[in-house]
Amino acid sequence: MTQAIEHLNPDTLSAFIDGELPDGEQTAIEQHLAGCHACALRVLSATQLKAATARAGRRFAPSPEALARLTAQVRQQPQATARIHSMRRLTWVGLAAALLLAVSLIGWQRIRKTNSLSAELLDQHLSTLSSGATPQVISTDRHTVKPWFQGRLPFSFNLPDAQALPPDTTLKGANLTYLKGQPAALLLFTIHKHQVSVFVTQRSGGPNLAALPGVRSGFAIHSATTRDLEIVAVSDVNPADLDALVAVLAKAQSSS
Amino acid sequence: MSGSDSSQREASDNVASVNRSADFERLALPLLPSLYNHASWLTRNHAEAEDLVQETFSKALRAFDSFQESTNFKAWIIRILRNTFLTSRTGIATSRTVFLEDHPHVLDTTDASPTPEDNLIRLDNQAALQRALEQLEAPLREALLLCDVEEVKYKDIALILDIPIGTVMSRISRARRALRQLLQPQLGESL
Repeated sequence: MTQAIEHLNPDTLSAFIDGELPDGEQTAIEQHLAGCHACALRVLSATQLKAATARAGRRFAPSPEALARLTAQVRQQPQATARIHSMRRLTWVGLAAALLLAVSLIGWQRIRKTNSLSAELLDQHLSTLSSGATPQVISTDRHTVKPWFQGRLPFSFNLPDAQALPPDTTLKGANLTYLKGQPAALLLFTIHKHQVSVFVTQRSGGPNLAALPGVRSGFAIHSATTRDLEIVAVSDVNPADLDALVAVLAKAQSSS
Repeated sequence: MSGSDSSQREASDNVASVNRSADFERLALPLLPSLYNHASWLTRNHAEAEDLVQETFSKALRAFDSFQESTNFKAWIIRILRNTFLTSRTGIATSRTVFLEDHPHVLDTTDASPTPEDNLIRLDNQAALQRALEQLEAPLREALLLCDVEEVKYKDIALILDIPIGTVMSRISRARRALRQLLQPQLGESL
């Protein structure tokens, strides 16, 4: 068996000194080496080269600073991951906060808009109350009031008959006005001697009238939306009567 | 109820991840000198070597969940280091050099059975050996360093270098023969 092995070829010798040969082969070579001085010397030399390579190959060491940085990196991995986690969490928290802020900003803007709208409505209503403010068209007759708006408004609307109005509700006149920067019909009614301002505008993508506060500064603000129009009524009359008027006006639009 | 469950799970996840990180530290920290040395041989530049090791650590940690305890961690992380190097600018430039597995030039001179004089080579001449190592073709040097310096087994070298085990064996053998040749003239000078 040992005789079958010739002198070691370089690859085998190399694998032999690395201990990478299968057990059987390893043993066979050891037996060969016992009787072959030349191969034994080659193995010795190869082993020396291997050891020398190991020494020479361990050549580069990090500077103390680099070693410290890299060590810290490995040591801080748990914290680093924790930091990543908390960063992620922070990101989410941040995102949530931003979202909340955005929503509340939108909400606030909406409130501000509706607030400013209700303020605008109230201002206009109050100005109609002030003495000496006479409507541009003074009429209790819908057949006078409605045509007056023609050419003044980019839309038309219906006015109910006097008898269709709720009890003790009277049309006093009308003004052309602007609401939310849009032309609007301001219809002036009285309900039980309470002044009522009814604004009729085209529907728009503006602040939702439904979001208007029902009461502001003691005045009731009620609204209705029809297919094309928005109707907002402002008065210090009791809300139920105001609702009744708004309902009649809204109904008049669909009956055209 | 479900809130406390999920926070408990989160807590145990955190514990697991801390343990995992401790495992990583335990395995990776002792290899720092080896990784730095090997990275330096690859990059031949201290700053690049540090960057390479740093990137290797962060990649390895991210991939640590996929590391199986049964596998050789050293081989696993060196493989990451090497693959990271190969995608670096220096690595791409290096890989452009065509390496022929059976270079005729090397084959020619390969009956490099050490002569009796070889046995007298003073291998303690570190500087000469380092120069010789530098002159080796990169694929030969890489395999040899993994074997002799890092003491990685052939099968793991095959894994790291993505080559068959037979190729590992022949590269290491060729590297040693080439080293002898390179050392010969220097030996002549020094004698």
